[in-house]
Amino acid sequence: MSEASVIHDIGYQRYEGPRLGRGAVFNSLYVHGLRAAYGFGRSAKAKIFPWLVFGIVSLVAVILAAVRAQTGLLPLNYIQFADAMSWLIIFFVAIVAPELVSRDMRAGVLPLYFSRPLRAADYVGAKVAAMVTAVWALLAVPQFIMFLGAAFTAKHGMSDVWKELGDLLPAWGYSLLWALLFTSIGLLIASLTGKRAFAAGGIVAVFLMTTPVVGVLSILRSTDAQELAGLASPMTLVSGVGQWLVPDANTGLFIGRFGPVYLIEAITLIAGCLLLLLARYRKVASL
Amino acid sequence: MSTVAWITARGLFGRRRALLLLPLPLLLIGLAALCRAAGVAPSDWGVPVLVGLGLAVVLPVISLIVGTGVLGSEVDDGTIVHILTKPLPRRDIILAKLGVAVGVSALSSAIPLFVAGWLADSVGFGLALAVAAVVGAFAYSALFLLLSLLTRRPVLLGLVYILVWEGLLGRFVSGTRVLSIEQYVITIADKIEPTTLLESKVSLPVAVIMAAIFILGCAIASVDRLRSFSMAGETS
Repeated sequence: MSEASVIHDIGYQRYEGPRLGRGAVFNSLYVHGLRAAYGFGRSAKAKIFPWLVFGIVSLVAVILAAVRAQTGLLPLNYIQFADAMSWLIIFFVAIVAPELVSRDMRAGVLPLYFSRPLRAADYVGAKVAAMVTAVWALLAVPQFIMFLGAAFTAKHGMSDVWKELGDLLPAWGYSLLWALLFTSIGLLIASLTGKRAFAAGGIVAVFLMTTPVVGVLSILRSTDAQELAGLASPMTLVSGVGQWLVPDANTGLFIGRFGPVYLIEAITLIAGCLLLLLARYRKVASL
Repeated sequence: MSTVAWITARGLFGRRRALLLLPLPLLLIGLAALCRAAGVAPSDWGVPVLVGLGLAVVLPVISLIVGTGVLGSEVDDGTIVHILTKPLPRRDIILAKLGVAVGVSALSSAIPLFVAGWLADSVGFGLALAVAAVVGAFAYSALFLLLSLLTRRPVLLGLVYILVWEGLLGRFVSGTRVLSIEQYVITIADKIEPTTLLESKVSLPVAVIMAAIFILGCAIASVDRLRSFSMAGETS
């Protein structure tokens, strides 16, 4: 080894084409995540659970639209519909969140991802965006079915349709809030373990254990405690924000004058979970 | 056989994973104590805490995580091969795994339910709840252990059972209650120590016989399934 050692150029052709940057990586992670959420590009077995949930939610929407078209009664409005589906949304989050993040940890691909021009924030952002889209679609498409049912049976033409649209758009925003809150909590829990089974169980446990807390707080004697009880559970937290922003939503939750508190907690919770998620991906283990 | 049980227990609890089982039972006791301290009548808080949290969430969810974890995580890792290739009867493997699962879920749900029941009514009611929770832990663990052998997604299928079958259908469609372990647990607790807090919706013979069928049937089916178990790769 007298001479300085060199790496010999053995004549392979070099890649000279365009190099796609962070944007392209983000985009493909997003598309991949969204497809994975509904099991596209996977075996039939991977499609069973997401489409089961989507099917049930759509079926309920179709039934509601049919009841309304036949009898003129409205059993559930758009916002009550989202609330009524809360258990199915929890189940959907428990299906999708482990699929998106736990799999990557399990397969040990994170060090490969992060050896690309991809930052932790891009990875987290793409996963969150994909899952928010998936959960939002789970609620928004059935709500749109209900809207179509109402629009085609409108008695007074366009004015009814406009009024209906005025109900639908806030409800889509409300569904987005559901999606944001449930995604950030669900992904945070799922990112802690590489085992999808444990991640799914953990997500359901966290969401379900908060409901009885609300039940207990709302039977305490103090009125303030009753009106603040909804803060204890993500489901009632979203309902409270909806009740405050859309007063004729009739969510059945009494929030008194604490509407802003609900909104602030919802925003803080989403931001906090996303920051923790970012912190989680500051360092990834390379098996 | 004891080695299998030991490995299983270590797989569940190694590296401080046991701490993850603590929050649910602590929440149950904490809520019961809070209600008691705030002077709310037990008839008001009994149902949401004992049934809504204790019997509908803590018992099934802990049994689900533990019951599918004892065998399912080894199937996922592929380490089940090491146990299957040992000269052990498959029955002993299943019994050891089931024993660990039942022990853990029974301990972590019966103790908080006993405390909460004691705070709500009397020591007798607490004991009745604890006994019923142990029966429930047996039935749930056997069911979820079987699920982890039948499918590669046992947790999701178990969640369908807990959330949809027992949670949604059990409330509205009375016929499904005959196949709902939660209802057996409620009935058994109510018949041991009758109170106004629990309302049993199936008869005691149905509850006891169906629980026994669940436990034995699922355990035997698991043994049978493990006899001809074929390994497969990661689910796609």
